[in-house]
Amino acid sequence: MTTGSSSNGDAWHHAVTRIDDWFADRDWAPFDYQRELWAAHRDGDSGLVHAPTGTGKTYAVWFAVLLEWMAEQIAAGRDLDAYDELPTPPLSVLWITPLRALSHNTVDALQRACRELRLPWRIEGRTGDTSYRKKKGQLSDPPSALITTPESLSILLSYPDTKEHLQNLRMVVVDEWHELMGSKRGVQAELGIARLRRWNQNLRTWGLSATIGNMEEARDTLLGEEEADGRLITADIEKDIQIDALLPEDVHRFPWAGNLGLQMLDHVLEELETVDSALVFTNTRAQAEQWYRAILDARGEWAGYIALHYGSLSRKQREVVEDGLANGRLRCVVCTSTLDLGVDFTPVDRVFQVGSPKGVARLLQRAGRSGHQPGATSRVTGVPSHSLQLVEYAAARDAMQANDIEARRPVPKPIDLLVQHVITIAVGSGFFPNELYEEVVSAYSYRNLKRAEFDWAVRCASTGGSALKAYEKYHRIEKYDGDLDTYRGMYVGTSDRLARRHRMMIGTITSDSSVEVRYKNGRTIGQVEETFISRLKHGDTFNFAGKTLEFLRIEDMKAVVRKAKRRPDGVVPRWLGGRLPLSNQLSTWIRRRLDEAADGTFRGPEMSQVRSLLELQSKWSIVPTHADFLVERVQSSEGFHLFMYPFAGRPVHQGLASLLAYRMAEDVSITFTMSYNDYGFELLSPEPAPLRDAIAGGLFDTDNLSREIEASLNESEMSRRQFREIARVAGLVFTGYPGQPKSIGKIQASSGLIFDVLEEYEADNPLLEQARREVRERQLEEDRLRDALDRIRDARLHVIDVPRMTPLAFPIYIDRLRDRISSESLAQRVRRMQEELEEAALREGEA
Amino acid sequence: MPTFRLPPSTEDVELDLLPGRAAFWRDRKTLLVADVHVGKDATFRAEAVPLPLGSTDSDLERLSDLIRQTGAERLLVLGDLYHARAGMTDGTLSALRAWRADHQSLEIVLVRGNHDRDAGLSPSNLEITEHDGPLVEGPFCFRHDPGSSDDGYVVCGHLHPGVVLRGNGGQRERLACFHANPSRLVLPAFSEFTGLHILHPEPGDRVAVVAGTDVIALPVDTVESASP
Repeated sequence: MTTGSSSNGDAWHHAVTRIDDWFADRDWAPFDYQRELWAAHRDGDSGLVHAPTGTGKTYAVWFAVLLEWMAEQIAAGRDLDAYDELPTPPLSVLWITPLRALSHNTVDALQRACRELRLPWRIEGRTGDTSYRKKKGQLSDPPSALITTPESLSILLSYPDTKEHLQNLRMVVVDEWHELMGSKRGVQAELGIARLRRWNQNLRTWGLSATIGNMEEARDTLLGEEEADGRLITADIEKDIQIDALLPEDVHRFPWAGNLGLQMLDHVLEELETVDSALVFTNTRAQAEQWYRAILDARGEWAGYIALHYGSLSRKQREVVEDGLANGRLRCVVCTSTLDLGVDFTPVDRVFQVGSPKGVARLLQRAGRSGHQPGATSRVTGVPSHSLQLVEYAAARDAMQANDIEARRPVPKPIDLLVQHVITIAVGSGFFPNELYEEVVSAYSYRNLKRAEFDWAVRCASTGGSALKAYEKYHRIEKYDGDLDTYRGMYVGTSDRLARRHRMMIGTITSDSSVEVRYKNGRTIGQVEETFISRLKHGDTFNFAGKTLEFLRIEDMKAVVRKAKRRPDGVVPRWLGGRLPLSNQLSTWIRRRLDEAADGTFRGPEMSQVRSLLELQSKWSIVPTHADFLVERVQSSEGFHLFMYPFAGRPVHQGLASLLAYRMAEDVSITFTMSYNDYGFELLSPEPAPLRDAIAGGLFDTDNLSREIEASLNESEMSRRQFREIARVAGLVFTGYPGQPKSIGKIQASSGLIFDVLEEYEADNPLLEQARREVRERQLEEDRLRDALDRIRDARLHVIDVPRMTPLAFPIYIDRLRDRISSESLAQRVRRMQEELEEAALREGEA
Repeated sequence: MPTFRLPPSTEDVELDLLPGRAAFWRDRKTLLVADVHVGKDATFRAEAVPLPLGSTDSDLERLSDLIRQTGAERLLVLGDLYHARAGMTDGTLSALRAWRADHQSLEIVLVRGNHDRDAGLSPSNLEITEHDGPLVEGPFCFRHDPGSSDDGYVVCGHLHPGVVLRGNGGQRERLACFHANPSRLVLPAFSEFTGLHILHPEPGDRVAVVAGTDVIALPVDTVESASP
């Protein structure tokens, strides 16, 4: 809608006055960027807003749509004070949030504003947490705004009558877009929005984002090709952020102490004593469990005042914690990224980050949870889990001061998700291929999708994978071939049963097969991964949700537990899923700090503290500057270790490690296992590696790079591992679900097995190619790998034999995530392992 | 062809354990396999999972190779020859018939397993003798699942046994295996389109892993223990 006539203009100003009054009642005033957004929305624009946490992004978009509606009512001669006479708006706003944990906060915040403005808008959530009954009610009597997640939107699109309910939308909002973008769930949102755009001519799309390094690309990804001239609205609000760190007393013994960071517990407790409220962020859920337990063990009197919060806990548990933070009852919450985000922004006094900050943007966002009053300083304090992390905090501060924030890259045309979407739309309203292709390529991530790729996805869902031959008896969707001319040629679902199964599977992009954990009385505690539960025996105890639980049995796909009477066996569930790599930005700034250190310069408290450790590194080996390439050799009871330090980030190291292992294994029969962190990687072999010969033979060359990367990839298990997610998304493997029919059991196979079958009998399957591409582009980043090799060849090579693992080596050693490259046959390897084991047993016998 | 002998109990009878995931009873020229899961790929397709054709054909081909190599006159299947009724498609049945035609003189005996019961009886033109219960022959009691028996040393399948080996340098291998204890021998699943059930052998057990072209016997205490 545009403001053509002056009476419309008057109505608009009248509406704005009411919003201004609402702000004034709270002693606030709208920020300039909020007014800018309201006008942009009124003028029919879409765009992306970025503003620091706690500066009213939510209300910026929400009031835009309320203002528009209020102005329409005034222009139609209605009295905004006559509540009963105002029409109830149809479903006008769809609000997409990355975490279902956030949805109910959002519902509350949006509903509160409407109540206070006395507007007859009803806001409801629709996520995996919403009951079946409520979801059904939502379709017969839709609310004015629906808060949902990308997968719940996708599920909505899989119902035939959804179009009816979603064709009066004015606005679709994507909250925390920086979180979603760069993931397949973000692409799922893009596809959903592309469809909504077709159904609603007047739809405007607004994204909310924290600051990232590529805001323009983030905007374009959200809006798709059709709206290339979307707006980028920036809040001109400066915020002071302080990054500091807790300093361990003894940095020497420190890196050997394990990687939990619990050695710093006393320091953290001391700090917690001095504040009323604090958030302790950890990088993994397992770490959160362990920190929560440790704090409670040390300060029993805090029971009831500290809590645990992460995504796998039940909604109820999370709500209790969020309420406790809001009303000030809790003094400390140990949490993961679930509390990075959130509209119902509850400020705390202090924020701690246990372990590596991983990225600048993320650390700043976490810092933003403290000191949100205007003019106040936000502060985040690093809690190192090994000494070198002190360098990371210093580097993060450097990056922040240089305003060097990470970019997030959109996912390039994932075929697995396309297969899923094709089925979703077929069982929903059905599709004609030409139309759906147009729609799909209007989404940014698929803008380069070839027609042949689209056609393959349709074929994969309809007749099977192969172009030449349809599979016998096989089809998930089919071409309508009935009597109604209008529908002939349209792809539709084949059966209600398969449609139901498809809906059950849509939500599984991120969740690895997970199992609900509940007490005998049926009360749900949360979810853990099936692989963890499958290893438990009756009577085993484990820590979960801050409690010690005893495993009883699996029942209807649920793990039944009771509170344990004894102490746990020390087992904490592990959740799979990618480990976050250190960002490029942060690695660059770390290298600069190390260059200084190699030069004898140690600026700031963190560097001063880590000085003696880096001096030890110099003594045993060297501190490599950006002009050096360091290789350390060390022998242990495990075998012969090679440590190399390109400082190129974990993904590149993973690729480099397999490439170099592959090249060294070409001429001699040898097996390597590999581990890597963000600084470097380790190649471990039972016999010494032929390093010198390999270097002379071109170990670091970039010739044949693509081919050899491909070859080393196939050797290692990376593509196979990457295929896990792809197989799930494309509907090739089934996670069990409650009430599943018996027939599902007969078609359950691991993604690894499916991978093997495809490789053997349909090697050109695009899903396999996608797995390799994802590894190549998203994990290994061939371009960066080439750069790294070029840098290595230009650098001074230092091969140093060290008596034991150096301060740089040790974190890699303990952070192991191993892959293997081998030129021995399987039988050779097994025989050797067998001999080794027997020898060891013999030695023990003699001792 | 490398073989490894694992004599059952005290009887002076030997079975050759073959790297093709099968055993050969030389005295009776009988090839023993378990868990062939014919038509598993077709079952997936019938349930709308797009898997390519090929794994059933390949399994049948491997079976033919073993029959030729051993000179077996009889094939004894220890259950789960078929995967499921949904997988008994025209394609599966014609592959089976063609395979049978290649081995006309071969006697085939099936001790039915849980999957066979779902799939129904073998088509009559395949000429397969089926037994519902255990089959006692010589010192052996052949069955599908590893129950106990007073009638002889049990040879069975059903479990899809596998072990995890660990070596120096953090190396790790998951391998299909033969698993024997004083009262029974469990064969590895014959089909390559099957997963592994990882075992944690007890003292006194014997384990032989299938490693490429070899079957290799392992001391039990080298196999990964049961702790998670």
